[in-house]
Amino acid sequence: MPSIPKTERRSPSRLVAGAAALVGTALLIAWIVAVFPKAPIGPRYLGAGHASPRAGGTLVFSAGSNIHTLDPHFAYDTLSTAACRLLYDGLLDYDYEGTMIPSLAAELPAVSEAGQVFRFTLRDGIKFHNGREITAEDISWSLHRLLSKQTGSPGYPFYKSIVGAPAYHRGEAERIEGIVVLDTKTIEFRLDEADQTFLNALAMPFAYPLAKEHVEKLEAEEGRDAVGRHPVGAGPFAFSRWERGVQVELERFEAYWAPRPRVDRMIFLENISPDVASARFRNGDLDVIHRPSKVNRLFLRESPAWAPYRAEVPSPSVYAIGLNCELPPFDNVHVRRAVAFAIDRSKLERLNPGEVIAAGQVLPPMLAPYDPELPTKQVFDLARAKEEMRLAGFADGLSEPITVWVRGEGDVRGAQLFQQDLKEIGIQIELKMVSFATYLKETGKPRVAQAAFTGWHQDFPDPSNFMDILFHSRSIHPENSENRSFYRNPKLDEILDSARAEVDREKRLALYAEANAILADDAPWAFLSYAVDMFAWQPYVKGFRPHPVWLNEYRNVWLDLPRRRVRQLIYEQEEAP
Amino acid sequence: MMRFIAQRAAWGVLIVMSVVTLVFFLIFVAGDPAVTILGPQARAEQIADFKAKKGLDRPVPEQFMSYLGLMPCIRKDSPKYLRDDGARGFCGILQGDLGESYSHHESVANVIGHRLPRTLLLASLAVVFELLIGLTAGIVAALRRNRWSDTAIMFATFVGISLPTYVTGPIALLLFAFLLGWFPFGGYGIDPLDHVYHALLPALILAIAGAATYARVMRGELIETLRHDHVRTARAKGMPMSQVVIKHAIRNALLPIATLIGLSLPFLVGGAIITEKIFAWPGLGLLTIESIESLDAPVIMAVVLMFGIAVQVGNLLADIAVAALDPRIRLA
Repeated sequence: MPSIPKTERRSPSRLVAGAAALVGTALLIAWIVAVFPKAPIGPRYLGAGHASPRAGGTLVFSAGSNIHTLDPHFAYDTLSTAACRLLYDGLLDYDYEGTMIPSLAAELPAVSEAGQVFRFTLRDGIKFHNGREITAEDISWSLHRLLSKQTGSPGYPFYKSIVGAPAYHRGEAERIEGIVVLDTKTIEFRLDEADQTFLNALAMPFAYPLAKEHVEKLEAEEGRDAVGRHPVGAGPFAFSRWERGVQVELERFEAYWAPRPRVDRMIFLENISPDVASARFRNGDLDVIHRPSKVNRLFLRESPAWAPYRAEVPSPSVYAIGLNCELPPFDNVHVRRAVAFAIDRSKLERLNPGEVIAAGQVLPPMLAPYDPELPTKQVFDLARAKEEMRLAGFADGLSEPITVWVRGEGDVRGAQLFQQDLKEIGIQIELKMVSFATYLKETGKPRVAQAAFTGWHQDFPDPSNFMDILFHSRSIHPENSENRSFYRNPKLDEILDSARAEVDREKRLALYAEANAILADDAPWAFLSYAVDMFAWQPYVKGFRPHPVWLNEYRNVWLDLPRRRVRQLIYEQEEAP
Repeated sequence: MMRFIAQRAAWGVLIVMSVVTLVFFLIFVAGDPAVTILGPQARAEQIADFKAKKGLDRPVPEQFMSYLGLMPCIRKDSPKYLRDDGARGFCGILQGDLGESYSHHESVANVIGHRLPRTLLLASLAVVFELLIGLTAGIVAALRRNRWSDTAIMFATFVGISLPTYVTGPIALLLFAFLLGWFPFGGYGIDPLDHVYHALLPALILAIAGAATYARVMRGELIETLRHDHVRTARAKGMPMSQVVIKHAIRNALLPIATLIGLSLPFLVGGAIITEKIFAWPGLGLLTIESIESLDAPVIMAVVLMFGIAVQVGNLLADIAVAALDPRIRLA
């Protein structure tokens, strides 16, 4: 009998082998599940242990979304500002206490003529990244670029109190009269009226000087937005490369006037979702994280191992429901107060643990003259809410529902929280969801939106930045009103105007305290919450601290390299039997 | 042979051109690039200005002919738009000009030049992994056919072919990066060595399906070859089995693998779209997704053109390679 090749014989063990493979796979999966590694609850890397600051290394940071521009004249969002803070320097800056300090200016300005004239002297040895010394003419030229109509910067309103700035902005003047270059090191600003917030405006990224020759060459070659892609500033880091949508790379500027930054390179990663950024951070791939995702935020708050390497700081912003004081029923102050008293803000705190603090006044907690004990502050008090409804003549509630404008899903969830609260005092609400662009356009027009979810993030740390802009009658326009509740109060206007001009700090704060009390009582906004920001950094990142004004501040950071991997990872506790 | 190549090349050009034409017109069906790029808050005059600068205000057929380089340049921001002698030059793909990216603000060639090396790094690592894992597994399975190890390997290849990268990718990230911390959690890294380290996990994931295919093909071919007379002769001469396998069997069995590699090259580049997205690897795949999301028409067109050419060239090379390796195959 011819032998049959082994391969062609039907193997009786084939079925057994198949079954064995299946069983084996099942066992493998069971084994993986049983010994599945658990997520580390602490940092994966520690520093090398150097006590004193060392130079070198690359700091990697996730910017979350996209950076819009690196041109400070257009940087008006947190991320662009954070990047511009590294690339540019201005005349003035803030320290970690939020106090104003000189930066490119040798010292704080000499103020004269009742706070209308400010004279600055520049520091010696300050240079642009292209190596040229900065002169007073550069400061002047940059402000002219900022305020020209062709530039169209969103920063213009902050500087219109400079003599001749509006005329120049309209194209009626060649130069701004109120900006006077006295010599290469001295520059003077003259204002139309005394305005103490002008120094705050000068400390904003909008006023950071640019190198004229660089800007003119780029704009001629590549158009106006080119500066935002190849910036030349005077900051501690110089621009290296920007790969759109991937990352921005900066490198240390060796000729920086102040102590040189210690980190060699900074990388801002773009386009990373909070979840991915958080995972990368916990994996040790990111050095600092700002605003981790919700789950990771809770985790970082709870983890004792991360405790020394995280910080929660109240963000200088306030969220509220804006009530249109020109449209019924909110033209009646009692209805506005009723809404302010009816809202149970603790629901927000419970829904977003650690992410928000209940708000009862316009000023955020870190901004003087915030008063935690403000007598008129808005709190949840159903009895008083009902009483106010009775005073308004609506003891049985409103017959018509209120239309509340919302900007997106986040607002909708917030609004749903308060729907029940308002029903208690007889107010039904209907939500109107619109795109952010439509929202901005329509709520800026008088007599359109009855009520709207709204908020404000400070431009500079001064109460006027909240109150003047949001509630002064001067901020009401036929279109694009900043005062979107169309609140008019001559008494408040007067207080705000005198506070703006007041040179004495104590007197100014007293005036703003008065205004703060009036606004909480008159309730053009029913204040909801203040946001709380979270930062976490790797143990080998030293010298990082959230900044009260800029939040992201990397100028003083150094890296304790080489980092060491933690050998004995602390894993999540096994559940107790 | 030459005639075959010329014929195939002609077909290739025709196919690539059809794809390019189709995609060019599809972009205009999908939306308005000017509006998408400038965002919802753009003013009407900004949009008009952008369109005028990029030539998007011209009739679509004219735009297409200009893009091809058959009609004069219509992009006002191109130096070719108005040459020094006053005449309008050409700035189409026939002149080797891929245009200017809308969202990256630099030439498409530059954008691709940045991204291509990364995709090539990922793809070449993936090919190395595919061959290493696939061929080893295939040879082991063939030599131990019908034993339990063969069954296990074949079962594993079956699983490997069935699992798409969007399943294996996140699992690998969770297990090997987040929980075990052996690899970085996606991204590209900060220096050359770091780039390779960041490429390992995505390359491995990208290689799974290919390795599984190679293993199955290799096993089949090797079993087939081992039955041939020349192998039997070699054994009969007293050559040790290991020598026979290495010198005679594997070499013959590699023939179809060569074809497969040629065919898989464009798919490594194209197939990396999902993998690059999962691992946030900023290569051509991610560029494709980004440019489609932002309707960055010049980049979309360039990527389509590149992939189209890559597929055609890959196929052609595979055919030629097979003919070169096996003289019995006549190309006609």
